[in-house]
Amino acid sequence: MRSLLSKTGKEGSLANNGSALSLLGFALSLPPFLLVLGFVGIPILIGFTFSLGFTRGPNRVISIIGQQIHPKTHWWGTLAAYSDVFHDSRFVGDLVLTLAVTAISTVLVILIALAIALHQRLVGGRTASVLATLSIVPLFVPVVISAWAIHTFYGGDGFMRSFFANIGINFPTLTSTSTAIVIGSVWTSLPFSILMISSGVQAVPDALIESAKDCGASTLKVISTVVVPLAQTPIIIAGSFTAIGIMGSFTIPLFLGPNQPTMLGVEISNFFGAYNRPQQSLVMAFIVFLAASGIAVLYIWSNVKSAKESGRI
Amino acid sequence: MRRYFNPAKVALNLSVFLLALFILGPILWLGVHAFVTDWKYPHLYPSGLTLNWWSKVFLDSALKTAIRNSLIISPIVVVLSMVICLPAAYAAGRKNYWGRKTFMITLFSANSFPKIGLFAAIATLYYTLNLMGTFLGVVIIQLLGTIIYMTWIPAAAFASVPRYLEEAARDAGANKFTVFRTITLRMAMPGILVAIVMSFLASFDEAQGSYLVGAPTIYTMPTEMYSLVQNYPIQVAAVFSILLAIPSVLLLGLARKHIMGGQLAEGFQIK
Amino acid sequence: MTTKKAVAVSAAIALALGVSTSASHAAMAKVQTIQVYISADTNIQDLWVKTLVPAFKAANPGYDVNVTFDLHGDHDAQETAKLTAAATLGKDAGVDLIDGGFVTTLGAAGLLFRPTVGIIPNLIDVNKTVLKAGKGGIPYRGSSVLLAYNTKNVPTPPKTLDELLTWIKNNPGKFTYNAPNGGGSGYSFVQTVVDKYLSDADRKALVAGAAPELEAKWAKGLETLRQLNKYTYGQNGTYPANNAETLKDLATGLVDMGTVWSDQFASAVKAGTMPSYIKVAQISNPTLTGGASYLGIPATSANRNKGARVLANWVLSPAAQNLIVSGTLNGFPVIPLAKLDPTATGTFAGVDIQNLRAGYLSANANDLKSKWASTVPGK
Repeated sequence: MRSLLSKTGKEGSLANNGSALSLLGFALSLPPFLLVLGFVGIPILIGFTFSLGFTRGPNRVISIIGQQIHPKTHWWGTLAAYSDVFHDSRFVGDLVLTLAVTAISTVLVILIALAIALHQRLVGGRTASVLATLSIVPLFVPVVISAWAIHTFYGGDGFMRSFFANIGINFPTLTSTSTAIVIGSVWTSLPFSILMISSGVQAVPDALIESAKDCGASTLKVISTVVVPLAQTPIIIAGSFTAIGIMGSFTIPLFLGPNQPTMLGVEISNFFGAYNRPQQSLVMAFIVFLAASGIAVLYIWSNVKSAKESGRI
Repeated sequence: MRRYFNPAKVALNLSVFLLALFILGPILWLGVHAFVTDWKYPHLYPSGLTLNWWSKVFLDSALKTAIRNSLIISPIVVVLSMVICLPAAYAAGRKNYWGRKTFMITLFSANSFPKIGLFAAIATLYYTLNLMGTFLGVVIIQLLGTIIYMTWIPAAAFASVPRYLEEAARDAGANKFTVFRTITLRMAMPGILVAIVMSFLASFDEAQGSYLVGAPTIYTMPTEMYSLVQNYPIQVAAVFSILLAIPSVLLLGLARKHIMGGQLAEGFQIK
Repeated sequence: MTTKKAVAVSAAIALALGVSTSASHAAMAKVQTIQVYISADTNIQDLWVKTLVPAFKAANPGYDVNVTFDLHGDHDAQETAKLTAAATLGKDAGVDLIDGGFVTTLGAAGLLFRPTVGIIPNLIDVNKTVLKAGKGGIPYRGSSVLLAYNTKNVPTPPKTLDELLTWIKNNPGKFTYNAPNGGGSGYSFVQTVVDKYLSDADRKALVAGAAPELEAKWAKGLETLRQLNKYTYGQNGTYPANNAETLKDLATGLVDMGTVWSDQFASAVKAGTMPSYIKVAQISNPTLTGGASYLGIPATSANRNKGARVLANWVLSPAAQNLIVSGTLNGFPVIPLAKLDPTATGTFAGVDIQNLRAGYLSANANDLKSKWASTVPGK
């Protein structure tokens, strides 16, 4: 099992001489880091000061345009905008919905991708590979079109309702519900996860699977103790990227979800545009940012943990 | 009994069918609309057939320019991204250095910050650097969205290359660069290919930032496409869904051979 | 620093070249390009691109007009950000004339070139109240929100707001309005229901200036709207996202009645996307709101004293206003009907287009959109 962060040994993925810190490594990683720091980090910092009520300098004009702006009351700023957001019943509802949809969708995506990948690996055959390859088809379809596609499939005059109406069943209109957001999120996140997870599962050597089966392990046991742990890295990467993508998503919840509660991506846009409350909008953006950082930390931590468990640290 | 009716097989086939319906249903249902005049609920057949919508899309000159822009800009963005990020990915996957974890976490979270709140600050930055409305400005803003894919995924791929193979090659007399080229790079290549595909998509589909920096001088494909899709009935969206699914189908050939089987299997191989 | 130096040097070279070329072409008239930015629905794009711009160029050779169109205000946030950044840095935002819903917000923030009769002579004909409400924007056309109804299922539409509310309750699932933060037609319905419980004085106050103290009085109207959740389309407190979706729901027969913009509806009928058996009518007590659309000239525009001013002035001339009234738009003019072509204005018989019931000042409107979102959908 390869981990990004294990530190030792010949098998280890890191510097040739154990724990010595590499200057070359540091230097090589600077270009993208500096690019991000400059072009994304600085705007984020400016936005952070604005959320705390620093209304001068680069934030001057937006403070004039926006409504319900709270200028700073102490040297470090003010928490008034943060208080606004946390006391807004919409935000709490949106946060709960966002976290719930993200969790459910990510789990579903991983499970479906695993199911397809495992089916192809363990059973094989034409159906399996056809299914696996066809599920990448939506990859290049932009999210706006995907949202339309799902809307017309499950909507009031869509395929599902048409089909069932012809056999006398009143299929519910799924659009404008949180279920539709989950369906849309799963659908758009599937191709990437299938690429990653399928590659990881394919990599498990036949020898290991066969020897496990020879020892009498059931298929389920083989999957849970041999295949999944060995394909861990791509699975976790797929999960992390999927989760963060869904958490900040905008188009899918806008097209498919209810007006309230909605996902944070849509609410941030509402607050910034329609309600003209840029400060509160930025506060919500920082909440999403924090959650994303949390997911990244989780990934790193799980890597370190598994590296420790396998004795590599 | 078993010969005629195997419940496991039935259940399996049923789930395959349901999964196929879930994944392909919406896109197929939308796709057929590209050829219809009208489709009234609850009929399962259209009112008429036409190729009108295709001409509406193909005759839109703004769209042609926008697609041309995107097809020029996105490959440049991907190449630049590879040059800037792959060395960093190699370092992140293989070396230990100060700030490595912070580096990975920062890239992930910076990428996920909802952009709408940053527009004013980004615009100020780009105006100050005189990048507003320039080709380079659009390249940079699209490049930023690809960094996460071009670092995390190749890093994992580089980290997975088994050291014993490299050592064996060195023992056999190969120098460092040959080892890198024939073993490390080759085994990490499928992961890098996934990163290239996702980066290309990230750049090609990037709409918000490209509009902020590029409009009205440079328009990229998503802006024009979304405008067309919202201007006209669903049939135009259907035309786009077919047109844009073609690259996926082309990619499948590549993916089947190199990514989902074959070499990638070796890349993520465990000893 | 080197970058600045390089920029300065190249600017100097460009200037020198520019001066030398213009000197050599002194005899030839220079064509000035006016950048127009439109954030609206497609019927307004057609108005500008197909009607106004060609007519302007014909009447004013020496000017070229470049129209940038943004649908449904998808990119209002980006455009506002650019204007904001340009204003902070004192740079040219690259746009000379803006037609969009956020013009009044920009005006209130002092980012627009203040129009006066001295600068734009044709302003003298424009209704003073409408002009004042623009906060620095130049009104150039009007439209009203109307009630669209399917004549097949609704032979006679309700005449007052109370009748409409009763109809909605008696015909569950057959009426819709879009979420106010997504489109003005739905916003108008919300404000109209809220205004039902407000005195005339209160309504005028909310139109004239920011009046946060009056916002508590919206509670009754918002409660009425909340109770309608069971009766509007879907019957679950969900609403279409924007104007276009309401039109689509009407055209496909998913609903029998909805609120629509007069000009958007007229354009849809002419384009063939709205069946002929769908008609529009106005209600009373109170009427659905209407109002002007405003043009704005950014204060930092390099063209503000030249091309932008000429174009804005021309749009207010009888020639241009005639074009707005006729054609596919059926827009309401902002100058007195007496100055216009009588045949075109015949369609407005019975509609008092100079005295449309106005929408709230943008600050109050934004607050109403926010309050609606927190008290009505899904509750």
